[in-house]
Amino acid sequence: MSASPFAETMASFPLLSLVTFLPVAGALLLLLVPGTNERAIRGTGLFISLVAFIASVFVWRRFADVTGFQLVERHAWIPSLGIGYTLGIDGISFLLVMLTTFITPIALLSSTHAIEHRVKEFTISVLLLETAMLGALVSLDLVLFYVFWEAMLIPMYLLIGVWGGKERIYATTKFFLYTMLGSVLMLVGVLYLYLRTNPASAAFADVLEIPLTRTEQLWLFAAFGLAFAIKVPLFPFHTWLPDAHTEAPTAGSVILAGVLLKMGTYGFLRFAFPLFPEAVGVYSVPMMALAVIGIIYGAMTAYAQTDVKKLVAYSSVSHMGYIVLGMFALTKAGIEGAMLQMLNHGISTGALFLCVGVLYERRHTREISEYGGLAKVVPVFATIFMIVTFSSIGLPGTNGFVGEFLILTGTFEEALSSHLDATLAWKDFLLSWRVVTTVFATIATLGVVLGAVYMLSMFRRVMFGEIKNPKNLTLKDLSPRELLYLVPMVVLIFLIGFFPNVLLNKMHRSVDAFVDHYRPAIVKARSPETVAAREGARAVEAR
Amino acid sequence: MRPLALDLGLAAGAGLVLVADLFTAPQQKRLLGQLSVAILVLLFVASFFLDTTGAAFSGAYVGGPWVLFFKRAALAAGALALLGGLEHVAERWPHRQGEYALMVLSSVLGMTLLPGARDLIFLIVAFELMGVPLYVLATFGKDDSGRHSAEAGLKLYVVGAASTAITLFGLSLVVGLAGTTRLAGIATLPLSPLLGVGMMLLVAGMGFKLGVAPFHMWVPDTYQGASTPFVSFLSVAPKASGLAALVVVFSVGLSAHRATWLPVLVTLSALTLLVGNLLAIPQPNVKRLLAFSGVAQMGYLLMGLAAGTTEGIGMTLFYAATYIPTNLGVFLVVHAVTRADSVDPKDEGDAERTVSTFDGLARRSPWLAMAFLLFLLSLAGIPFVAGFWAQLYVFMAAWKVGLGWLVVLGAVLATVALYYYLGLARAAYVNPPKRSSGLAVDPALAFAIVVCLLAVVLIGVWPRPLLDAAMRAAAAAF
Repeated sequence: MSASPFAETMASFPLLSLVTFLPVAGALLLLLVPGTNERAIRGTGLFISLVAFIASVFVWRRFADVTGFQLVERHAWIPSLGIGYTLGIDGISFLLVMLTTFITPIALLSSTHAIEHRVKEFTISVLLLETAMLGALVSLDLVLFYVFWEAMLIPMYLLIGVWGGKERIYATTKFFLYTMLGSVLMLVGVLYLYLRTNPASAAFADVLEIPLTRTEQLWLFAAFGLAFAIKVPLFPFHTWLPDAHTEAPTAGSVILAGVLLKMGTYGFLRFAFPLFPEAVGVYSVPMMALAVIGIIYGAMTAYAQTDVKKLVAYSSVSHMGYIVLGMFALTKAGIEGAMLQMLNHGISTGALFLCVGVLYERRHTREISEYGGLAKVVPVFATIFMIVTFSSIGLPGTNGFVGEFLILTGTFEEALSSHLDATLAWKDFLLSWRVVTTVFATIATLGVVLGAVYMLSMFRRVMFGEIKNPKNLTLKDLSPRELLYLVPMVVLIFLIGFFPNVLLNKMHRSVDAFVDHYRPAIVKARSPETVAAREGARAVEAR
Repeated sequence: MRPLALDLGLAAGAGLVLVADLFTAPQQKRLLGQLSVAILVLLFVASFFLDTTGAAFSGAYVGGPWVLFFKRAALAAGALALLGGLEHVAERWPHRQGEYALMVLSSVLGMTLLPGARDLIFLIVAFELMGVPLYVLATFGKDDSGRHSAEAGLKLYVVGAASTAITLFGLSLVVGLAGTTRLAGIATLPLSPLLGVGMMLLVAGMGFKLGVAPFHMWVPDTYQGASTPFVSFLSVAPKASGLAALVVVFSVGLSAHRATWLPVLVTLSALTLLVGNLLAIPQPNVKRLLAFSGVAQMGYLLMGLAAGTTEGIGMTLFYAATYIPTNLGVFLVVHAVTRADSVDPKDEGDAERTVSTFDGLARRSPWLAMAFLLFLLSLAGIPFVAGFWAQLYVFMAAWKVGLGWLVVLGAVLATVALYYYLGLARAAYVNPPKRSSGLAVDPALAFAIVVCLLAVVLIGVWPRPLLDAAMRAAAAAF
């Protein structure tokens, strides 16, 4: 079958570059629009972000069911140092690209009333942020990745710092410094890897070829892992998150929860696991322990909140814990669950923040005690809020269920398939992989119940009961504009809930290859037998 | 005389300005500044077409890519700083505009001569030709801005003279041992205690000029007191020349004893990074804050040099070259805001600017605020602006020779630096404006800022040409 000239042109068309840099082009265009013409600015911003979304739909159509990277673009950038402009996607990054282009127009649309001053700068910041996020997701060169990774910080800093709440300066500075500290140490790690390649190259494919010793891996994983763990955020590196979320404007929270946090988990999957498999094995137990602590701690702290936005923020800590747990379980189900849950968390937590934004725009307070009985006044909003709440809890039929179910199945599968050695001394037995993972999986499952407790109690206090505050009697239900950005989220919640295979099919290949390729080395490093063997060898050496 | 073609042109230009000053009417003195900018730009352009390779004065002076790199840097910095201060000088010292331009030209002449010196006497003469006009320029505002300018000039002068004395003392020891003033003669010296002392004195003398801790005390006072357009020049161009002098004396001349002086540079780099970054945090005065940030930047500069490799020198050159538009740009923005606000009778004055000067800059002038933000991000080493690559490259150079701890220190302190840079950015973008008035920036100053901004952004996106040039220059240093 001979391809038509048009198809050939299409095949070589730099689609990923187009998607990535469309928002920046839009931002430059916006510089020319006078700042007083707010309607034009909002319209252009929304239009550009929609065009980027449509372009990413073409990516979806071009995305083939193969292993390895697709739509690869490779150009020299700084050839004397081996730093290249290399883009490409696979099943791991592809859906996150879609999520980013999907969330951005929604975030812009949600800000029409919430952002009233300096609309031009706001729109430009959001568009720049979109490019940085997309760039980080499609980069296949470590330096290029780092460039985009760092570039994400500045627009987000401005989004929180300029359009945030009362404590915005504190929150945004904390956000920036926390993430920056993680990133610079990652930069040191990038440098180390880069200088180990010969000839010098920062291309991901070349860096993968470096034979790293165990000690090197442990240190490098620490450097990369810290940056990613702060971004996730993994307990105990999460303290910037509640502040940032609470102070950010709705659109900022939506992007932060929707996409930015995923950069951390994406980083683990894309870079940390393939580059440092042995270290991943060694750190598996502590990382999973932190994830489980995060699940429980996030849930309990969320339950104690009186501010509904803070509650959602802490629920993020809890949910991201599941994703990390699923990744480190390293079964196919666990990783697919983690990747699906990245999308789900983006959608449901994004939608939760949108709902909180809707409430805040009406009453200008986020105290749960100020509300109550809203279901009678705003039935449509109550329905949507309920669906989103269910999705966040992970009720069957919603997207959250599929993701959490896969993660927990994957973790239990890992736990129950590993070797149970009853001959061990009781101390070693308790610390054996089998017992530890079983405990983690069990606690995480209990965490699901806690999730239902804090979400439903919040929902009850806001929506049901008597209307105590007379101000709530006159609340308006959702406007068409609000429906316009909430309904797509709700549709996705059900679509993924009922037909998760549409998305899972896109990742099967990559995940299968990923697990087949990296699991053996990781398992070898974390299973006690190899530890015993190593100690035996050491004893022989000592003699 | 072929390698000195540009320098001769500059000397002739300076002479022209000096003579023209005698014959221009007081109300036309502005022409002298414009003429000087034109001379510098012309020579900068000519540097791309003239062949300046070869040697002069029987090998005391050597041309080539190494010298050319610094010549272009000095010419560009001089032109931009003069351009940025054109209106300011015309307003404040209408009768002394010729003098001002002449001093800048002379200083630039010293800078263009210095890197090619292969003879220590030649080196010192060029070094002083660069330095002496700076003392004069620092005190230029002594009549009208009160004690600050006089203090600035005096501090610069006393410290500068002392550092020259120290440098000369160190050189006299080295020359005394070698019996020649030629670099080639020094290179073969065996290590002796006396040579060690000489080298340490040289490091100290040049450290003063560079503003490297612990020789940095003059930097904040001078930056605070001197007129801002001059500080924009002082904060970048002499640093590049100081770097050139360090490379010429140590990496070229005394390279056999690198085991002795490299550890000293490493220590100074670490100390400078710490002192600059940590002392910048509590500064309320914006010029002092930027002065300490400049000290910290010298720490990164030394880091590349401390690697001791040709590649390290190349990456340091890249650093110095990106530092010029970045820091010049930052001070020009400070100057633009200062100038616009100085019409206000309640204004606190040039030397007393606090960070709150920039409150609401984004609303008073979005373009100026954007330029300010990008310069600050470049100083902080954030991607898509030049500073990111500069920092990355010196990290690379240092890491390659096993200075991992220094890289980690630099990386962590970069986060600290970000804190105070963000303080300035926050004032510009987040705080409400103190004055509701807009900001009028004169065309010459605006043009200079735009050129700096373009350089910072272009290098940030496409660092390759500059990097290649820096590498070529470094390879030609020896």
